[in-house]
Amino acid sequence: MRNVTRLTLVVAALALTSTAAQAQTNNASITATASVQTPINVVGAQQLSFGNVFPGVNKAVAATDLTNGGRFDVTGQASTPVNLSFTLPATLSSGGNTMPIVNYTGMHALLATQAGGIAFTPSAGASPTLSGTGALFVWVGAQVQPATNQVAGVYTGSITMTVVY
Amino acid sequence: MTRQPWVVIGALLLGVPLQAQGRPLTVTGVRGLTFGAVLPGVPFSVSRTDPANSGQFDVRGPNNARVLLSFVLPVAMTGPSGALMTLSFGAGDAGYSQSQAIGSQVGFDPKQSFTATLSNNGRGSVFVGGTANPATNQRAGAYTATLTLNVTVLP
Repeated sequence: MRNVTRLTLVVAALALTSTAAQAQTNNASITATASVQTPINVVGAQQLSFGNVFPGVNKAVAATDLTNGGRFDVTGQASTPVNLSFTLPATLSSGGNTMPIVNYTGMHALLATQAGGIAFTPSAGASPTLSGTGALFVWVGAQVQPATNQVAGVYTGSITMTVVY
Repeated sequence: MTRQPWVVIGALLLGVPLQAQGRPLTVTGVRGLTFGAVLPGVPFSVSRTDPANSGQFDVRGPNNARVLLSFVLPVAMTGPSGALMTLSFGAGDAGYSQSQAIGSQVGFDPKQSFTATLSNNGRGSVFVGGTANPATNQRAGAYTATLTLNVTVLP
């Protein structure tokens, strides 16, 4: 009887083990990794300034004009291509009065001196590459066309540049 | 005493299916899912067939066993100061290979359970890809998340 009891226990143990084996479960984990590069930052560094203009006399500011051309400063991931696009106003406003602004020109360069700059047409956008330190400078010029009866006043408009990788 | 032989036979019979179960089930994380350098605002995908960057798990278990595969997938990766970057997984972003060859996978949806069969020597591999979705203002730095594969041997 003693032996029978032992064997019964063995049977029970095997039955339990067998049940556990049927429900074998296991798992493992891996890691997902990514390194996010520097976000783009854009600053409107200098206004596009036409100064005094006279009724009936068009006045242009070139993109190469370091003093009066509009300038945006861009920073981001070094040596990485970016796409530039612009929202360009067709007129400047002073209260309810408007003055046409046309013939936009653009220039982008890796240095603030504009050395090695490349001209482009703002309405078409551009795809320059940030410098080895992640910098880019963009200038915008245009022409205003005051009418002969243009009402005197300060005329303004907003030029927006969007930069994406 | 005459009952003893029957008990022994019973024990042996119960032992047979246990023996047929073969080796125990093991799951090993072989390779992480690597997105590398990503740019803010630019989604980046890794294919499950990418031999260098896809995630890989190896499974060992009983020969020819049917196994149920299910993932625990993160919705985001965590970066500097707790910054989050969303992760997404498409319906074909996971694959199973009985031969453990990355070029010979059966695709499946990692968000759903999938039944696979281990090879006749009890092996199989699971590969996984996905997409990292950095925001335009995503904070720069290193991001990580954990993917877990659960495997159950089906009766």
